[in-house]
Amino acid sequence: MNSFFKKNGPLISTYFIIAIVFWLIFLIVIPQLYMLDLSFRPNLPPLLRGGSDDVHTLVHYKHFIFGSESSEDAYNYVDIGVFVNTIFTAILVTIINLCFCYPIAFYMAKVANPNAARLLIVSLIIPFWINELLRSFALRILFAGEGVINNILIGTGLIDSGINFIAMDIALYTGLTYAYILLMIFPLYNALESLDTNQLEAAKDLGSSTFRTHWRIVIPHAKAGIASGCTMVFMLTAGALATPVVLSSPNTYWFTQLIYQWFNMNDNWSRGAAYSILLLSASVIFVLLMMRLFKVKIGEIVR
Amino acid sequence: MKSQHILNFILGIYIFIFLSYLFGPLIIMSITAFNSAEFPAVTPWECFSWRWFQEGKIAYDGQHLAGLSTDWRLHDGLIKSLFIGFGVVVLAVPIGMAASIVLTQVHSRLRTIFYSISIMPVLFPGVIIGISTVVLWDRIATIGGEGFIADIGRNGIFLTILGQTCFISTYCFLIFVARLQRFDQTQEEAALDLGASQTQVFFKILIPYLMPAIASAAVIAFLASFENYNTTVFSILSDQTLTTVIASKVRLGISPAISALALVIISLTLIAAITYEIFRRREDKRKKQRQDLLLFEKTQDSRLKIESKKSFKIPKSIFILLFIVIFGILGFNQLVKNGLYGPKCVEAAESAKKSKFSEQLKLLQQNQVNEKDLQGGELGGNKDYGDIFGDPNLFKDFGGFDTD
Repeated sequence: MNSFFKKNGPLISTYFIIAIVFWLIFLIVIPQLYMLDLSFRPNLPPLLRGGSDDVHTLVHYKHFIFGSESSEDAYNYVDIGVFVNTIFTAILVTIINLCFCYPIAFYMAKVANPNAARLLIVSLIIPFWINELLRSFALRILFAGEGVINNILIGTGLIDSGINFIAMDIALYTGLTYAYILLMIFPLYNALESLDTNQLEAAKDLGSSTFRTHWRIVIPHAKAGIASGCTMVFMLTAGALATPVVLSSPNTYWFTQLIYQWFNMNDNWSRGAAYSILLLSASVIFVLLMMRLFKVKIGEIVR
Repeated sequence: MKSQHILNFILGIYIFIFLSYLFGPLIIMSITAFNSAEFPAVTPWECFSWRWFQEGKIAYDGQHLAGLSTDWRLHDGLIKSLFIGFGVVVLAVPIGMAASIVLTQVHSRLRTIFYSISIMPVLFPGVIIGISTVVLWDRIATIGGEGFIADIGRNGIFLTILGQTCFISTYCFLIFVARLQRFDQTQEEAALDLGASQTQVFFKILIPYLMPAIASAAVIAFLASFENYNTTVFSILSDQTLTTVIASKVRLGISPAISALALVIISLTLIAAITYEIFRRREDKRKKQRQDLLLFEKTQDSRLKIESKKSFKIPKSIFILLFIVIFGILGFNQLVKNGLYGPKCVEAAESAKKSKFSEQLKLLQQNQVNEKDLQGGELGGNKDYGDIFGDPNLFKDFGGFDTD
C-alpha cells in the first residue's frame, strides 16, 4: 500500500482509490449482494421492512418450483417452462450463430485480402451501432402478417394465405439470432487471425482434407475465440429483453419478461430479485461450463 | 485447383446471403419510412412522402400517428438520453482508466481477483444490473429518510447513470488494458530519473499516451449508453429515455414514424463510419510517408527517395456517390411521373381508403338488414344488438367520412 502511494504520488493515488472502490464496491459488489439478500426476504410493504416479519425465507424460490399455494398443479409448470425454454433457446441460438459465423470469420481472417476484410468488418459493425429495438422492429416489418416475406411468398404462389411468423415464434428466434451475431464473429475473427497460414498449407501438403484441417488445426486454435463468442452470445440472448418485447408472440414469454412483470407490474421486488438470481446462476453455470469444456481462463473469454 | 474455385464461389454466395441477412431488414425498414400508408410496409405502396419525418398523420379512423418532428415524448427522451450518455462518459472513462492502470501495478493472486471482478459486469445480464441498482438505492433512500439522499435514490436519471456506468466502465477498462499492454514503462522511469514528480509523469506521459484510448472509450461509452435498453428500462423508474420511448411505441402498435427514426439513426451511423474510415486511411498514409522519409534520411540512399507527386487523382468513392445520386434522381423522377409523390397522391389514397372503409361499413349495415328480413321477427334483429349498426351517429366521432 505504501509503495502504491509512493509510485503514483498522493493526488493520483487518491483518484485511483476513489474510482476503483466506487466502481468495484458500490457499483458491482454491494448491489448484487443486496439483491441476493432481498431475494430471500418476503415481499413486505415498506413500513414493515426491518420489522419482526422481515426474516429470511425461501418463499420466492418455492414459488418458482411449486407455484402459488392456490394452484392445483404440483409444480409451477408455467414459470419452469419459460425458464427451460429460455435457456434451451439461448443455447440453440448460440450454436446456430457459431455455425453461421465460422465460415465468415475464417474468410475474413485467412482467405480475403486485408483491404476486403477491413471493408467487411466496417460494414459488419454498422448494423450493430443501431439500436437493438430498431433492429428488431425491422424484422417485425418483415415478418408481419402483411409484411414483406408473406407478400413475397403469396406473390410467388408458394402459399395461399399469410403465415403468422410472430405467433409461431419464428420471428423471435430469427431476431435473437440476428441481434448478437457480431459478438460471435469478432472473437472468432481475432482468434483465427493469429493462426499461422503456413500450418494450413502444411496440412494441405500432407494430404489432409479441408474438413480434417479445420477439425484438427483451425478449431483447436480458435478454441478461446469460440468459448468467448459462445459465452457472450449465450449471456446476451438469455438476458435479452428488447428483442422479446418487440418480437415475441403474446403467449410466449422470455424469462426476462417474467422478471420484468414481477418487478414493474406486480410490484413484487423480492420475487423479481429471486428470479433474477435464478437467471444469473444459469449464466454463471454456463460460463463455468464453457471454461471447463474449452479449458480457458475467464480472462480469455472477455477481451 | 478447380475445387478451390468452386469452394470460393460457394463462399462468395454465402457471404452475399449473410450480408443481405444483416442489411436486408434495415434497408426495407428505411424504405417503409417513405411510404405514406400508416402501416410500415413496402407493398402496397401508397405514395412517396416525407410525412413521417414531419408532422405524421391522423388516420382515417381517427387514430393520431405522430411524425418525428412533432413527437414531444421522443424529443424529451432524446434529451434525457444525451444527458445520461454524457454522465456515463464522465464517470466510466476515469473509472476504467484508473482500474486499468492499477491492474499493471498489482501482482499475481490479487491481480486475478481484481481482473475477474472488473470484467464480471459484462457477463451479467443487463436486467440484473438494472434491478440490483434500483433495489439498493431504494433501500438507501428509505434509510436516508427525507431530503437529498431520498431524492437522488429515487431519481431515475441518476440511477440509470449509475447502473450503466457499472458495466460500461468494463468496456472502457478493456480498451485501456489493451492500450497499456504496449506501453513502454521505461518512459516513466526515465522521466522520474530526470526529476519529474509522479503527478507530472501521469499528466505528461501516461495521459498523452492513453489519449487515443480515452477518445475511443468515450465514444464507445456514449454509444453503449445511448442504445442501452435492458438496464435502463428498470433503472429509469418513471422517467423516459429515447430507447424506452421507442420500446413503448413499438409495443403499442407499429408506426412508420419508427422507421423514419431508424433511418435517421442509420444515416448518422453511416456518416460517422465513413468519416472514421477516411480519417484512418489518411492517418495511415501520413504514417507511411513519414516512415519512408525517415528511412531515406537514415540511409541517404537515393533509391529510397520518393518524389512527391502532386497529381490530382479522383477518388473511387466519387463514382459510387455519383451513381447513387443519379440513380436516386432517376427513381424520384419515375415516382413523380407516375403520380406517386406529392400531396395530390396522398389525398387520392386517403379518399380511396375512406370510401373503401365506408363501403365496408355499408355492407355491414346491409347485412344487418338482411338478417332482419330473414329472421322476420324480433329475434336476431336490431333490437337484440342494441342497434349497434343502426345508429348513424355512432361513427360521427371518427372524423367525418362520407357515409353516402
